[in-house]
Amino acid sequence: MKRFQVYKSTLFLKIIFVISVAIIFFIGGITFKHIDNLKKSTIWVNNSQEVNLELEKLISYIKDSESGQRGFLITKNDIFLEPYRNSKKEISNSLKKINYLTKNSKFQQYELKKLIYYINKRQNYLSKNLYYAQSKDFDAKQLNKNLLIGKGVMDTIRIKVEKLMIIEKNLLKRRQLKHKETISYTPLFIYLTLLITLILLTIAFTKMNIDLKKLKKSNDQLLLSLESSNLAEIVGNYGCWQLNLETNEYTFSENEYRLLGHEPYSFIPGPEQFKKQIHPDDLEYVNQRGKQLLTNRDLPPMVYRVIRKDGSLRYFKGLGRMIENSSGTKIYIGTTTDITDEVSTNKYIEERNRELEANNKELIAFNYIASHDLQEPLRKIETFISRLVETDIDNLSDSGKQYINRIKLSANRMRILIDDLLQFSRTNKIEKVFETTNLNELLENTKLVLAQLIEEKNAIIECDVLPNLSVIPFQIQQLFTNIIGNSIKYGKENNNPIIKIKSKITIGKEEPLLPKSDDQFYKITFEDNGIGFEQEYAKKIFVLFNRLHNKNEYDGTGIGLAICKKIIENHKGHIFAEGKPNIGTIITIFLPVI
Amino acid sequence: MNNEYIYILLADDDEDDRMFFTDAFKEIKINTRVNTFNDGVELMNYLNNENSILPNVLFLDLNMPRKNGIECLHEIKKDEKFNEIAIAIYSTSSSEEHIEETFINGANIYIKKPNDFGTLKKILSEVVTLNWQYHTSSLNKDNFLLRM
Repeated sequence: MKRFQVYKSTLFLKIIFVISVAIIFFIGGITFKHIDNLKKSTIWVNNSQEVNLELEKLISYIKDSESGQRGFLITKNDIFLEPYRNSKKEISNSLKKINYLTKNSKFQQYELKKLIYYINKRQNYLSKNLYYAQSKDFDAKQLNKNLLIGKGVMDTIRIKVEKLMIIEKNLLKRRQLKHKETISYTPLFIYLTLLITLILLTIAFTKMNIDLKKLKKSNDQLLLSLESSNLAEIVGNYGCWQLNLETNEYTFSENEYRLLGHEPYSFIPGPEQFKKQIHPDDLEYVNQRGKQLLTNRDLPPMVYRVIRKDGSLRYFKGLGRMIENSSGTKIYIGTTTDITDEVSTNKYIEERNRELEANNKELIAFNYIASHDLQEPLRKIETFISRLVETDIDNLSDSGKQYINRIKLSANRMRILIDDLLQFSRTNKIEKVFETTNLNELLENTKLVLAQLIEEKNAIIECDVLPNLSVIPFQIQQLFTNIIGNSIKYGKENNNPIIKIKSKITIGKEEPLLPKSDDQFYKITFEDNGIGFEQEYAKKIFVLFNRLHNKNEYDGTGIGLAICKKIIENHKGHIFAEGKPNIGTIITIFLPVI
Repeated sequence: MNNEYIYILLADDDEDDRMFFTDAFKEIKINTRVNTFNDGVELMNYLNNENSILPNVLFLDLNMPRKNGIECLHEIKKDEKFNEIAIAIYSTSSSEEHIEETFINGANIYIKKPNDFGTLKKILSEVVTLNWQYHTSSLNKDNFLLRM
């Protein structure tokens, strides 16, 4: 957009320049014409004066010749003929001159011809008179007659000359008037055109000034962004290069030099220095990729190793693209990023991941195998005890019978522990198949599993209608079994356990226990009237093998709630416990609505 | 001759378990004859011998050295001459994977080794007196595992 404006204004300036030049030429032409006219009018004035002068001279020559003749006629002295003879020549010269001066006026020429005719006629008479006066048969009468005619001709000449002078005067007047007119409007015209030119030039100047300011501003901005990109390159550990495909010239940004371990501008930019420093094993690969510069518009990312000036090995990632600037020059621009840190971090993370994965697998396998393989000898111990009790119990002393009973109880406890451990390791296994399940059905199954315990303790379970949810069914059933089982197991003596299960839908930010969010959860609470616990243990009871009671008071392995926590984690939910000693326990679970 | 007693085979590498097994049958008042093998290889050698008498019921432990129960199951199910043998899996494990795998491979019943000798006797007498034809025709994943 901005570039387009500048482009438009250059066109505008060009137009103004052309117009101004044209106007100046025009003014020049007009001024030249005007001065030429002035010169011409001066010439005309001179001309007219000369014509008048010459005409007066002519008259005086004619008069000279006449007075000469007159003197001769009276005195018969030849001396008077001298001016007559001279004037003849002068008259002829004078006429020639007048003829030349008036050659531009047809009318004057016409009048001049007439004048010449009369002058010739006059001179004819003059010479005729002289001839008569000198001849022997001098006839005074004839001479007088001739003299009279001569005088008449002379008068006509005077009139003609005067007429010519008047014509000349009129002509001069006319010319002067015309000249005056020209002179009067020319300056105004010149002034106006000059004014227009000045205005145009002022506009052009202002425009140029604005453009210049804009250019300066964008120049400043460019400088700033160049500096900040320099900084960004240092922070981001990358550099840029350009290749002008027409001149084959390379440009490197400052950091491009530093990436290779050099000071900025310390070598001629180009691939040569790079090739010197690329790891020999990667050189072939980089060369292959480099060839694609000539054919591809986009140079896909490539990773290669470089040995820095100080000898350290670095990993570089290169990326390039061809662009065309506004003047159509093809330029390849590219970036080089030092990804050594990324590579080493990735390597480290990968290694750690592998280690962790292996550890985890080992742990799961260990847990599973341990609990599984422990079952075998235990089963045999139990079987042997059962056989011993069946066949030989009567042969034992009282203390022997008591020991056998203790062994049986211990073996039984061990079985429960192993079973729970096995269960815990199973909830750890990776396979997690979510199915949309009716939680009411899972609760019914739980009641079946716990049927014997429920009957034994006369437990009452009150329950809201539970939702359908996408869960891992057998795990949620396990969860219900463990929570309800606990409520019954940890009931107060001589008191029927009552378990109230409530369910509602809620969102994260409305629950003080949950992180603030708009996520939706199903909140299910299990409230019992059991022995409860001190609130300070609320977190501890979910930790594996953590028990709050002596084995003799309540049996339990400390695994049940740990399994519950694991199951809830598998479902990306939350579980909390709230206890009041001798009043009861509330277990709250939040399952995300998916 | 086969009609006079029920002929039973057990392949199990555990000596105690073999003892429990044979002792249990001794105490059950059913006319049975019991033969045991230490592993799968021994069992298959016996079965593949032309002179051997084929059992009515074969009890297979899963975890055995040399050749395990699953491999034996594969081999037996491949051979038509063993079609009449009822196969009971007899294992410590009650993991879903094992139950599923043996069910798919054509075992007839899955028994988890009990931890009480009385229970063992009860289970074994139940199994050997099962109407196999009826049991097999209505066999599904739910009644495959014998619950006591």
